[in-house]
Amino acid sequence: MSTHAGTALTDEVRDTFDRALAEADGEPAVELVLNLLDNGVPPESVLLGLIAPAQRRTGERWAANEWSIAQEHAATHISEQAVAALALATRAVRPDERLGTVVVACVDGEWHALPARILTEVLRLRGFRTRFLGAHMPAGHLVSYLHRHGPDLVALSCMLTVRLPQAYRVIHRAQRAGTPVLAGGPGFGPDGVWARTLGSDLYATGAARAADLLAARWPPERTGTPDLDRLSTEEYPALVRRRPDLLRHVLDDLHEHFRAMSAYTPEQYDATVEDLGQLLDFLAASVFVGDPRVFTGYLDSAVPLLTARGVPAVRGLTLTLRSLVRPLPDSPRALAHLSEGLRWLGALR
Amino acid sequence: MTGGSREERPARRGPPEGRPPGPSHPAAPRVTAPAGRRPPPGREPGRPPADLPPGAWDLIGEAVVVCDPSGVVSGHNRAARTFFPRLRAGEKLSGPAAGPLAGAAERGEESFDAPFAGRRLVGHRTVVEGRTVWLVRDASAVREREDALLAERSRSAFLARARGEVAASLHHTRAARALVRAAVPELARTAALLLPPRGPRVPWHLAGPGSAEYSGEVPVQTLDRTPRVAAALSGLDPRLVPCPRQELDALHVITGRLPPGDGKDGEALLVPLSGSGDPAGALMLLGPGRSAAAPGGRGTDVELASRFAAQAGTALAAADFYTRQTRTTEALHAGLEPQPLPEAVPGVRLGAAYRPARGALDIGGDYYQVCRRSGGGVEFFLGDVCGKGVEAAVLTGRVRQTMRALTLVERRPVRVLELLNTVMLEAGEPRFTTLVTGSARPHREGGLDVVVAGGGHLDPLVLRRDGRVEPVEIGGTLVGVLPDPVFARERVLLAPGELLLLYSDGVTEARGGRTGSGMFGEERLVKQLSACGGMPAGAVAERVELLVSEWLGEREVSDDIAVLAVQAAPPSAEAHLSRAHPVGERIKEEGR
Repeated sequence: MSTHAGTALTDEVRDTFDRALAEADGEPAVELVLNLLDNGVPPESVLLGLIAPAQRRTGERWAANEWSIAQEHAATHISEQAVAALALATRAVRPDERLGTVVVACVDGEWHALPARILTEVLRLRGFRTRFLGAHMPAGHLVSYLHRHGPDLVALSCMLTVRLPQAYRVIHRAQRAGTPVLAGGPGFGPDGVWARTLGSDLYATGAARAADLLAARWPPERTGTPDLDRLSTEEYPALVRRRPDLLRHVLDDLHEHFRAMSAYTPEQYDATVEDLGQLLDFLAASVFVGDPRVFTGYLDSAVPLLTARGVPAVRGLTLTLRSLVRPLPDSPRALAHLSEGLRWLGALR
Repeated sequence: MTGGSREERPARRGPPEGRPPGPSHPAAPRVTAPAGRRPPPGREPGRPPADLPPGAWDLIGEAVVVCDPSGVVSGHNRAARTFFPRLRAGEKLSGPAAGPLAGAAERGEESFDAPFAGRRLVGHRTVVEGRTVWLVRDASAVREREDALLAERSRSAFLARARGEVAASLHHTRAARALVRAAVPELARTAALLLPPRGPRVPWHLAGPGSAEYSGEVPVQTLDRTPRVAAALSGLDPRLVPCPRQELDALHVITGRLPPGDGKDGEALLVPLSGSGDPAGALMLLGPGRSAAAPGGRGTDVELASRFAAQAGTALAAADFYTRQTRTTEALHAGLEPQPLPEAVPGVRLGAAYRPARGALDIGGDYYQVCRRSGGGVEFFLGDVCGKGVEAAVLTGRVRQTMRALTLVERRPVRVLELLNTVMLEAGEPRFTTLVTGSARPHREGGLDVVVAGGGHLDPLVLRRDGRVEPVEIGGTLVGVLPDPVFARERVLLAPGELLLLYSDGVTEARGGRTGSGMFGEERLVKQLSACGGMPAGAVAERVELLVSEWLGEREVSDDIAVLAVQAAPPSAEAHLSRAHPVGERIKEEGR
């Protein structure tokens, strides 16, 4: 039986895969993927046309509070198993001798490894020699890997803008070790604007485009230079250092002015502390790259997320941002980004 | 260097006489006097002494040419006659006689800076009482010094840049490729590097115009026909020598890559590279580089090439050394890393996560292993050697091998622990370990029949189907300390989907959270685990690792984290196992 690639990824196929993710059942997902390959569906289509979109829906379900984080995690695990099975089934693909070696890594603290894993396989299927270093790669480990194995390129995945300062550390250190960097992932902003700010040598949206770009520009060269100013290097570390104080300050303020909080269960309280910590991390990242869109982008995703959890989001965030203005008189950029955030929230009322 | 107003240069006035300069007089005026305000006696401007003899003009080092308003030369001194031999008083300024001076006068310009009759001449015009006076000096020497300075500066910049590029990577091949790239186009149009023979082959790398790059190997016998290249490669002769034509021909595999012209005219220089005495390679520079075209450049800049060779050779040798060391470490490392989990064991689902504390080896004192058990199911253990670093890592390797051998001959887990204890005591091992070992067999009524024994390790946790989490209390004494230890065993039945979690103290003792110093703790682990109902073992292990890492936040991982989950396969998974897919290529283990 042979099916045309364009018609093989039917709605029925997608439903089967989605169901396997929902039930956290690896075997049917793997069986489905192997059957598609047996039927002649190109492996790249299975990766980018089936597994990647299903994973996106998983993220949406979590964001809409339909799935718990544990469910999302289990679903991701199944997707990873499906990718691993595909990799094993296509391991006979020979590397193209005109191309070289790409090492794929996720930013330190980044747990969304699946897109990077998919990129690894797409590049391998296109003839690159690849190595996937897994999620959450500390910059030091990566540098040690670069010196030991000498790949031609680091492909760095960053899914969340909050990790941009860590991404910079990785880019900078990889380049110092003489290896150019390809940046990818929504964390680098619209059209990869912050990939350029951080001095990445190349940028691509999506695995297929990354493969096209690299094939056209092989071997990659060191060309990027970071565009970070004094405020980035002064204000960012101060914000990181003061994070616990700022968190305590905001919590005290919210206790006083945000009455809903007094009725919180310990779990709700913990979740709030976590959310506030994240807000501070996004503010710090925003200050680091010097672009308030990092911060307003966070607000844009936080409002529906908090609303889905029954939190009066706009009011709570407005109080939080106002509360942060007071302890930050020496941080002109943080203040500018806070007022940009307040303006953004004001437009929602 | 072009200003001509030496006489009028404002002089900084010193402190008034009798008052020493210093901090005791902070208000001392530090103003600059306007030009000519207090001319020194006898140097009144525009008023030469009345008794100045006409010949005094000739004492002036600069050329002085005086013209009347119609442009006719009315007088000039000796220096002017040297610079402009054909200049005559009473004649109009002309191109052939006064060159750039005539041109500047013609165009009404104030100054000129141009070559004339083998000199670099710089002239300025002033008007004194209606007559034009040109002062012209010979700037040739200054200009030469400037050119030399600029050339040296560009050499230094090149060497600094090259050093950064070649020394950036400690990977030998990358360093070699960076080296040839760095030499082009400054030192040569094309650069080829031969590395010391590796077995029967001589690796080479080449960089040419337009970012062209090639790499390859030639048989070591080729060196028999290229004595000069062989000598450069042996490190016996540190001199830079021209590479003879027939040797270039013998290396046609490499030189065949050259653009037409390079190396054909014999313009090839052989540069031996050495790092602290040992041969690091031989660099061939083919075709003149940019430095040869610089002012004063004659052929290949040999001095620059040898300076480049000295620093690049050191970097290359360091990379070679590092790469050899790394190969040794990796070979040793490979035996210490956790082994991949067995795949597709009927009735059993497995998951593991391992995150070593940051260290040179990327491995630590935690270890785990799962092996297929003859007769079905698996045997497993997870433990923690006291201490950190390389010594602890080496002991984990020994404990793992001993455990594996013991479990092959002894099935009773308590007995296995006793034997391990004896082995460690007899070896005089100063360190001890804690561990949990056991086996899981498919039960005839479904689920898994698990037996575990403990040697002073944290009690394993069981996740029941309803979300309850129960510790399996096994206790036991540390392994490798007492001659007569006490170990206990427990039996646990896991229904389909239920799971046994083994973990190291890196999980519960992780310090972080909101305050930065709070422990992750068993209570939090139990609570999080109870939310993992229905998740496959692999996802549970990864989730525990994720939660701990999030708890640690930006803080360095100070202790190893090891997690092992053994799960009774749920009924649906059983049915699918008939087609035993090798799905176990686990992401976590790659690259570690």
